[in-house]
Amino acid sequence: MTTYLLSFLVFLPLVGSGVIVFLPSAQKQWYKWIVLGFCAIEVLFAGILYFYFQPNIAGYQFVEKADWITLSLGDLGIVSIDYLLGIDGISLPLVMLTAVVMLVGAISSWTISYHEKAYFSLYLLLTTSIMGCFVALDFFLFFLFFEFMLLPMYFLIGLWGGPRREYASIKFFLYTLMGSLLILIVMIGLYLSVIDPHASELMGSWVHTFDLRYMTDGRNYLPDSLLSLSGEVNLFGMPSRMLAFWLLFIGFAIKLPIVPLHTWLPDAHVEAPTPVSVVLAGVLLKIGGYGLLRIAYPIFPDAANEYAFVLASLGVASIIYGGFNALAQNDLKKMIAYSSVSHMGFVVLGIGSLTAEGINGAVYQMVSHGILSAMLFLVVGVLYDRTHNRLIDSYRGLVGLMPVFAIITGVAFFASLGLPGFSGFVGELFTLMGGFQSAVLPTWLVALGTLGIVLAAAYFLWTFQRLFFGPLWAKNTTDLTLLSDLNFHEKIMLVPLSVLTFLLGIFPSFLFQLSDKTIAELIKIFE
Amino acid sequence: MLILLLAILFLPLLSFSFLFTLSKRANEWAGWVAVSATVVGLLFSVFLVKSTLTPVQTFSFEWIVLSHRSFEVSLQIDNLALLMLLLVHLIALLVQVFSMSYMRYDLAKARYFAFLELFIFSMLLIVLSGSLLLMYVGWELVGLSSYLLIGFWVEKPRAVWAAKKAFLLNRIGDIGFLAGILLLFGYVGTTDFTLLTDSTLGTPNSALKTLIGLLLFGGVVGKSAQFPLSAWLPDAMEGPTPVSALIHAATMVAAGIFLLARIHFLLTPDALLVITVIGTLTMTTGAYRAVFQDDIKKLLAFSTISQLGLMVVGMGVGAREAALFHLLTHAFFKAGLFLCAGAMIHAVHTQDMRQMGGLRTKMPFTFVAYTACGAALAGLPFFSGFLSKDALLVATWAWATAHGGWAYLLPVLCLLSAGLTAVYIARQWKLVFLERNRGIERTNLPIEDNYLKIPMLVLAILSVFVWFSWHPFEAAHGWFFRVFPTQQHPDLHLIVAISATLTSALGIFIGLKITVQESWLSVFLARIYDVYLTNFIQKLSRGLAYFDQYILDTTVNGLGYLTVIFAHIVGRFDKMVIDGAVNGAAWLAGFVGNRTRSLQNGQIQSYFIALFLGMLVLFFLILG
Repeated sequence: MTTYLLSFLVFLPLVGSGVIVFLPSAQKQWYKWIVLGFCAIEVLFAGILYFYFQPNIAGYQFVEKADWITLSLGDLGIVSIDYLLGIDGISLPLVMLTAVVMLVGAISSWTISYHEKAYFSLYLLLTTSIMGCFVALDFFLFFLFFEFMLLPMYFLIGLWGGPRREYASIKFFLYTLMGSLLILIVMIGLYLSVIDPHASELMGSWVHTFDLRYMTDGRNYLPDSLLSLSGEVNLFGMPSRMLAFWLLFIGFAIKLPIVPLHTWLPDAHVEAPTPVSVVLAGVLLKIGGYGLLRIAYPIFPDAANEYAFVLASLGVASIIYGGFNALAQNDLKKMIAYSSVSHMGFVVLGIGSLTAEGINGAVYQMVSHGILSAMLFLVVGVLYDRTHNRLIDSYRGLVGLMPVFAIITGVAFFASLGLPGFSGFVGELFTLMGGFQSAVLPTWLVALGTLGIVLAAAYFLWTFQRLFFGPLWAKNTTDLTLLSDLNFHEKIMLVPLSVLTFLLGIFPSFLFQLSDKTIAELIKIFE
Repeated sequence: MLILLLAILFLPLLSFSFLFTLSKRANEWAGWVAVSATVVGLLFSVFLVKSTLTPVQTFSFEWIVLSHRSFEVSLQIDNLALLMLLLVHLIALLVQVFSMSYMRYDLAKARYFAFLELFIFSMLLIVLSGSLLLMYVGWELVGLSSYLLIGFWVEKPRAVWAAKKAFLLNRIGDIGFLAGILLLFGYVGTTDFTLLTDSTLGTPNSALKTLIGLLLFGGVVGKSAQFPLSAWLPDAMEGPTPVSALIHAATMVAAGIFLLARIHFLLTPDALLVITVIGTLTMTTGAYRAVFQDDIKKLLAFSTISQLGLMVVGMGVGAREAALFHLLTHAFFKAGLFLCAGAMIHAVHTQDMRQMGGLRTKMPFTFVAYTACGAALAGLPFFSGFLSKDALLVATWAWATAHGGWAYLLPVLCLLSAGLTAVYIARQWKLVFLERNRGIERTNLPIEDNYLKIPMLVLAILSVFVWFSWHPFEAAHGWFFRVFPTQQHPDLHLIVAISATLTSALGIFIGLKITVQESWLSVFLARIYDVYLTNFIQKLSRGLAYFDQYILDTTVNGLGYLTVIFAHIVGRFDKMVIDGAVNGAAWLAGFVGNRTRSLQNGQIQSYFIALFLGMLVLFFLILG
């Protein structure tokens, strides 16, 4: 029953994409239903995964393995690339988040009104590559999905975006490509250094592997290889392992994003259409955090310990810098983009603490932010759909015209600023708690991070006050007639997300019990 | 027992959800729903008081379980919690009854009562929580309900601004509270009151313990409007007046004092000293600024700040029980004063005392209630305020005696503040009730219906001494200090009582005589938050945004442009040099070919000449 579940999860959207491509354009009214159906099935599959997942096991589950590429290179040994999928307590919450956010994005995509065929097939393609990223256990396979994600994203922003879409999409593309390049370098270095012990014994010669499970085990490194644990190899005056860690970190930090590598994010968000913003903030950013947790930190725990302070400082810098920037924005989407920078800083801080609380908190925070940022961008979309104006100072006193919208926005804002009872609070609580407990971080640094909570309250409340309160007013008086309250289509996205953030805030164990064992096992390597 | 507790806790939450969902449809009867929920809660609480036999009971539930530790939420019921339970319910009930008349014509009545219920739930969560973590949850939720209620009239820009300000200043204090909680988790592994003991944090006066104590006190500074975060409370008066009575006078702002009482055993002597200093600063500046107010509610707000400062001082000098006693008496008389103020605002439609006057004859009932509550605030004998202030003054005096030297400044400042209190309340009393009517004559005066009268009456009655002690000058033998036993100083009592009474009398005399104008100090204090701090933060965030947009992003784009320019140069190079070399080679070959083509003309003679010339060249080469 569950043998090929992950393969189905990854490639089913691809099938859907193919269906849309081959369905004639005359039938385009069906596209959205097809996308919706496939995304709903993804949610169903994620639910089945949750149902069959055994939280008491620390290792990978639902593992699928097949030889993909095996090449003998003579003296260089044998290349072995596997089709290897599997999930553990870190990836499962993110897989479930992806399924939910993609479904919400699919509903939000119903308003797309031109080039539907291209849009919807690219959207499903994107789903496949994101899911693939979260379940791939072979570095090569991961990298393939990671790179492939760029293609649909580039077109989704570049074709359906706002006025400066071309600039934004090329910026996004180049930035991420740059990061991928760094990851690729490390991937090759790792490949040359790591062997598959079982296969090597079997074949009688070194079998090099991309299997992440072997890469995290120090015994599989060839003694005199580039990234061997002895750490004798120096590149550019730096131990090669440290350098490799930094390359990986920067590669994923661009995705996350961490200050100062974040400038692609505000532009990409401002230009992207609402559903793409939802997916971008809701899921794509998490791949950066996931990459740190799955690849950078477990493979280079020595470097993670060595640079803990610098890494956590970058997280804290993101928290504060993003917060101040959000405070200064007048464009709603930019404000939320910077708030994402701030909130993802908590993820870096949590991971950087190298404690169970911190890392569990980071995973939780990623899921929580995925839900909340999806809500926030949908909320902006509601306003933008009506008036094509996202500037905060163009509105005042909207609560009179749009009371339900005001309540939903209030939930999204207050949950995001960390009000207890909603998920944002738990994420911040645990990442900060990890920071305070960490043996590798000074207390003052984490205390500085708590400033982010005040800043979040400041920019969210200020925005809320300016949008909704005071006498009713809009810059363009015709806008007032357009400003109707939420319709069914918008409610069906926003209300379940509100309920979700509330339930996660009250019963955070739902997620913690999934990630707990895996992370308890993970932190052992940092000691 | 547990069921009862949960019922008390969740009844307000249920009625909140109910009223909030129905919203306008519930306008007609929302008040009754809220009042009956509170009555039930009050009855349950009384029943709880009767049935509680053991002094402390806790109930724990697992919230998050990780491999190496679990996080629990727990409820705790003890005498302190019971006292607050009764207090919150009683005042909430009176305020709700009052609101039924006060908010009669409001279009969003149901929302108003829903928010009140949300507040009651959050406040009860603070009161009943058995750990600091859960208390923090309630702490933030009262912040939310306070935000919603201050900004209840959303079309009033000032009110919304004040709501935001209140939430933000509270947040600043709260990060201290949160950091303290997280440090406790880090060093002790729990924040349960029953598991935390005096010795859990090592030596009695360790630096860490002091730090944690002061961080937790940060929450108090925000919520109880202590210096330097007190600026939000006067502005919070933009909200409906019954809300000011309930939240910003009697209960929420007292949560800070409640927190101090809960964590008192964690506070080191160093921490207590800081707390005392902060409390003293708050008490004196609050009382000073109250003297200069012309807004009837703002004056009361500054008075609240000052009284909260006094309670914090009490906590600081170790008089935990006396401070709690003052919390109790203050809750009644200050809520009473606010409700009276509300009734007057309701009638004359202004908050400016300079436009009032002569209301003694127009609103005789309010006049009487106000006078009783005001007398309690001024600390006149036979009123409740006298008893609690006396207990606190005695404690500060005893503290000064124990410390000597500069410590004597404290009781002196307390006396001074008590004098100022008498000054401002007497001034207000005179302006509002005694002098002739300066405002516009209103035909529909007075409006004093029973919904307004009964709560005022109850609170006025509760401001009299008999409810707290049979002895009008001495609370030591009253029920309060039997339930919360503490060290008494009978020797200091007489001198303190006499000096306090004399100071109050002098203060009242001055208050009835003076006319005041805003002083520069008062103006400066008012501007600290609104102008200097806000400007600073706005400038900082604009500067960083400028940096982000024009420097960081421009650098990135510049790098992009440089790459493109470089690419163009490479392109040129490719075209001119590399491709040029290739083309050049081809051109050269062509050129040479062209030039030499004519040699290949098929005439035997020319071949012969070429052969000859070649031979010649060879010949010379060999010889040369």
